[in-house]
Amino acid sequence: MTQRNRIDARRRRVALLTAAAVATLALWVAASQTAAAQSSPAAGQVPRTADGKPDFSGMWDNPKEPGSRTPATVFDGSKMAPFAPGGEALFYEPRTGDPRHDEPRAFCMPSGFPSAFLGPYPVQIIQTPQYLVMATEFMNVTRIIPLDGRPHKTDIEPTFYGEPVGHWEGDTLVIEAKNYKRWSLDDWYYQNPKEYRMHTEALRTVERLRRTDADTIAYEFTVDDPRIFTKPWSVNWVMKRHPEWDKTGLFEMVCNENNRCEGGQCRGSK
Amino acid sequence: MNRRVIAILGALLVTGPSIRAHHSFAAEYDANKPVKVTGTVTKVEWTNPHIWFFVDVKDAQGRVTSWGFSGGPPGVLQRRGISRTALKAGDTIVVEGFRARDGSNNASGGKVTFADGRSVFTASSEDTVPK
Repeated sequence: MTQRNRIDARRRRVALLTAAAVATLALWVAASQTAAAQSSPAAGQVPRTADGKPDFSGMWDNPKEPGSRTPATVFDGSKMAPFAPGGEALFYEPRTGDPRHDEPRAFCMPSGFPSAFLGPYPVQIIQTPQYLVMATEFMNVTRIIPLDGRPHKTDIEPTFYGEPVGHWEGDTLVIEAKNYKRWSLDDWYYQNPKEYRMHTEALRTVERLRRTDADTIAYEFTVDDPRIFTKPWSVNWVMKRHPEWDKTGLFEMVCNENNRCEGGQCRGSK
Repeated sequence: MNRRVIAILGALLVTGPSIRAHHSFAAEYDANKPVKVTGTVTKVEWTNPHIWFFVDVKDAQGRVTSWGFSGGPPGVLQRRGISRTALKAGDTIVVEGFRARDGSNNASGGKVTFADGRSVFTASSEDTVPK
C-alpha cells in the first residue's frame, strides 16, 4: 500500500467512525425527544413532561379514600385536630330554617373547595410548565393553578374556591390555597338535619400530589384553619386515572338549566 | 328497548341516600319511605342538574296519579353510554324509589322493571344498592 493509499484508508476509517458517531447521536437525540414528547412510559411508570416533571394530565376519578366505592364528601371527625378555643362554635353552624342558608346548593350556589371536587364526577387535569388546570364536571368548576410558587394576593375578596398557588418539591406538586370565603367545609349538612360544618376565612389548604404509578395520584389534603383547630390535620386520598373518559371529556353541567329542587323542595310532580 | 339499554338504564337512576346530588338527598327524600308504582311514562326531561321522568299511575278505580322521579345528571349517564333515548314517553315501567319528605308524589328512583318483566337495580356502580 502506498503512502497515499494508507492516508486515504485512514481518512475513510475516520469518516466512517464520525458518521457512525453522528448517526448514534442523532438516534439518541431523536429517541429522547420522542420519549419526552409522547410521554409514553412503560406500563406502571409515571409519565413525565418534556421538562421532566411528573405529568398529572388526564381524566381522573374524584379524590377518595383508597379502596372506597363512595365519595369522600364528608370528613372523618376522628382525623380532625382538637378545637381551638371558640373553634367548635365556628365549626358547627346551626341551620336557621332559611333554605338559602340551609341548602345553598339547592339554589345552585357553589359547593366551595374541596367539596366540589369530591363528588362522583370526573376531574380533568391539564398541565403545562406554567399552570395546572384542574376541572371537575360537577358544576364545571375549574381551578387554574400557577406553578411558580408566587406569593398569595393580599388585596382580593375571599372566594368560594380560594386562591391556589403551586410549586414543586421534587416530584411532589404542592398546592397551597388561601383567600377563602367562610363557607361549608364539607357535605356534613347533607347528612345532619341540624347543622353545617364551616371553615373560616383563615382557612389554608395544602394539597400534596404525587403520581405513584401510571394510574394513581396519591393526594394528601391538609386543612389548616387556626381559628377553628389547634393545628393542621390531613387526610389521604387517591385519584384513579380513567383514560376511557378521554374520548368524551367533561360534559356540561349547568345547574340552573332545570333545577326543580330550588330551596331543597323538589317540584317534580305536575 | 334492547337488553343493553335496559341494563344501562339500570345504572342511571339516583337511588341510595349516599349519592351525591346537587341538593341534599337526606333533606328531600326519606330513605325509610320506599315507594313502588306501576305506570306509563308521560314525559322525560333529560336535563341538568338531574334527569326527571314522569309516570302516570292508574289505581283500581281508574283514578290517575302523576309521579315525578329524579335521576342522575345527563353527563354522568352519557359517560356510561346512556343516551336521552333510553327512556321515552309511552314506556310502561315499575319504579321503586324513596318518597319525598313533603309527601308529594315525587321520589328518587330505586329499581325499574319493564313491561316484559325484565328488572334491574338502578344504583350507580359507585353507590349503595337499595336494600
